[in-house]
Amino acid sequence: MAVEAQRQASAAPARPRPKRSREEEVLVWPNLVFIEFISAVLFTITFTILSVFINAPLLNRANLNVTPNPSKAPWYFGNLQELLLHMDKAWGGVLLPTIFLGFLATIPFIDRSRHMQGVWFGTKYAARITVITVIYATVVIFALVSFDAGESTGTERLTRWIPACAESSEDVSWPCLRDEVGADHLGIVSTKDISKRLEFEVLGVKWPEDLDHIAWPFNDSIGDWDLGGIGLGSIHGWGGEHFNIPSIMAEQVIPLTLVIVVFPGMIIYTLFRLGWVRTRRDVLIVMFTGALTSFVALTLVASFFRGQGQDLIWPWKIKVDEG
Amino acid sequence: MSVTEEPGKPRNLRERLNVLQDRIYDKLFHNYIWQSIFRSGYPNTPRNQMLVVATNVFLHLHPTRIHRTHVKITYTYCLGGLTFFMFIVLTITGVLLMFYYVPSVDRAYQDIAALETNVKFGLLMRNLHRWTAHAMVILVFLHMMRVFYTGAYKPPREFNWVVGVVLLVLTLVLSFTGYLLPWDQLALWAVTVGHGIGGSAPYLGDETQIIVFGGFEIGQPALIRFYTLHVIALPLLAAIMMAVHFWRIRRDGGMARPL
Repeated sequence: MAVEAQRQASAAPARPRPKRSREEEVLVWPNLVFIEFISAVLFTITFTILSVFINAPLLNRANLNVTPNPSKAPWYFGNLQELLLHMDKAWGGVLLPTIFLGFLATIPFIDRSRHMQGVWFGTKYAARITVITVIYATVVIFALVSFDAGESTGTERLTRWIPACAESSEDVSWPCLRDEVGADHLGIVSTKDISKRLEFEVLGVKWPEDLDHIAWPFNDSIGDWDLGGIGLGSIHGWGGEHFNIPSIMAEQVIPLTLVIVVFPGMIIYTLFRLGWVRTRRDVLIVMFTGALTSFVALTLVASFFRGQGQDLIWPWKIKVDEG
Repeated sequence: MSVTEEPGKPRNLRERLNVLQDRIYDKLFHNYIWQSIFRSGYPNTPRNQMLVVATNVFLHLHPTRIHRTHVKITYTYCLGGLTFFMFIVLTITGVLLMFYYVPSVDRAYQDIAALETNVKFGLLMRNLHRWTAHAMVILVFLHMMRVFYTGAYKPPREFNWVVGVVLLVLTLVLSFTGYLLPWDQLALWAVTVGHGIGGSAPYLGDETQIIVFGGFEIGQPALIRFYTLHVIALPLLAAIMMAVHFWRIRRDGGMARPL
């Protein structure tokens, strides 16, 4: 039964593959085997030359008491390290990458048409939407990273119109930002400010102070069941004794909605209205390209724009303190 | 030359040389030992060329004939094949490095330092291992992009794409486990960052740190775990997945091309 259903599902265009004629064929030996051999030789030579001239790094012996600043993950995990700075650790380091891999694995089950397989950029506007998405995702990632480092990039100026909170916190009905005593007024410096500095009051409920310690019924026990501390607390804001809504908004809901829903949604919708995104394949091209470009952009930021204390600075200003 | 002339003794130098050449060729390639290894000579007919691909253990993952477009470099850029080639180079250089390396926090760093200074070609082997490892990560991403943008994951190749995603993860984990082994500051603190990321996993944070990293800081338990994973467990798993990956290419009808 299941097999039947599956067969029907995958056999949508029930055309048999046309038999290729002998004239269209070449022999694997020598035509392919020789190409493989030559590329193997070329790469062996290239990498041998590279390895003669450039040495693999070897720093001082590992020492747990001496922490280099900044300490960075290998470059291909730099993107995860970068994500940790902008959202909850569990989301940035574990869940979002898992979602990304899950998305990758399900691509062929979303786009099941056999149309235009084996053709570079097979749909009408594929090349165009790929280029647009690369530019879009790069701009979005760099903008978000800059915004989240408001003090060093100056993007806090965009939100400086939000007034500073009065010294006494009696009147907070209008949204305001609390500055340190005696400091200049700053706009929103990072997303975390939404849970830490932004204050307002709606219907008599004050943000954040009334919402950051709501009793959370499932903390380590439900009624008589002891959950043995399975660690609901491991996602920031959910754990301990309380349910911290402002923190959950700032570190999970807002960043995740932006990167999973808002920004991908905006570009897909725009391209759809322009008529350039037409099929599932097109949507997947935008999503895959966007995710991969973000991955690369975050890697670049982590590798070249993060100095001591993971501050956002220019590559030529990075100084590594070996500890 | 007239037709009546009998084939006999060589007349001039050129013919003598030809005879000599034939004799040397016979001695080299038509002797008992050579023919025990290679049962036939160079395959110079289409039939023999197909037979050699079908019957040779190293070549038999290939089909015997492929579509004309598939040998165009601009179609695949050899990316998958090169990724596999990097894996082979990494295996060879990795085995050589294992001869000189003891995965103990007391010795690992000195072993690497000694490898660079005291062992002939030790530095070259280490460099090759490092740069090909980085290249493999890059190539596996490029290969994935090629497959995606040519729509080569479409039916009937869905499952092979999934196998590819598994291989991508394995490649990253292989590279990451290797990162710790030199036991220098770069290794320790990069892996410490990864340790922190693993620890932030919801529900399983502590378990991840204990099972994968052997504790709450990076030490001997982490080193021996990473070493074992890096030199045997993960390469074995990757090799099995690669065999499946390559086999599925053929089972699914070779490389993707328009219907």
